[in-house]
Amino acid sequence: MNPIRKALGHIINCKDVSRLVSRQQDADLSLWQQMTLRLHLSVCAACARFERQIRFLRAAMRRYSE
Amino acid sequence: MSADLSRDLDQHRGYLMRVARLQLRDEALAEDVVQETLLAALSGSGFSGKSSLRTWLTGILKHKIVDAIRRKQREPTVASAFGDIDSELDIEDFDGLFKENGGWETKPADWGDPDAALSRRQFMDIMDLCLEKLPPNTARVFMMREVMELETDEICKELTITANNLWVILYRARMSLRECLERNWFAGEGAGT
Repeated sequence: MNPIRKALGHIINCKDVSRLVSRQQDADLSLWQQMTLRLHLSVCAACARFERQIRFLRAAMRRYSE
Repeated sequence: MSADLSRDLDQHRGYLMRVARLQLRDEALAEDVVQETLLAALSGSGFSGKSSLRTWLTGILKHKIVDAIRRKQREPTVASAFGDIDSELDIEDFDGLFKENGGWETKPADWGDPDAALSRRQFMDIMDLCLEKLPPNTARVFMMREVMELETDEICKELTITANNLWVILYRARMSLRECLERNWFAGEGAGT
């Protein structure tokens, strides 16, 4: 694992990210949360994918109710 | 009102029932709100043709459902209707998806171009299936948020739950739906075709 990711993992791991990504759909994140989330997403392809999928869920629910 | 509109409205009854049933988990009540919605649609003049008929009907239905939930909340029996929520509040249920160090146990799969799925009828059937699999309170809360588009503080007030509980429920709903769609659509034959 690349060292930046490893260090970042101590601050915010994928499990934390999954929770923040969901919370982001419902509330404003703190500046710190936003920063660490962005940073993590920029180096972690799996979480970046997860985030796109959670955004997609909202679009899908809109379409579902149309 | 014209027989045409009446017939058009009837075509949407099945869809409205589905939404109401998921939301209320009460067949009789769901029928009531759908009936009220169709009656309101027939007697009203609100339909401008700017949005689709279905969108307009969904808008009316949302209000009827909120009213119904409010009425239900005032009934003494309702504590039980929303009583069993504790079992749906465990955020650690989904910890199995992650390793000890918080990394993904199984990484989310590549969904290709998911937007393409939105125009497919079969995809909406899978959505139905996945929504029905959610625990009752989780489904109700998720529908309030994503279909009725209520703000989180409104939902908390309606259901007298804390913001933190609400976030946990919404997280569980999204994790579960994501996983269900991945397994039943994006990983299978349906995707990308």
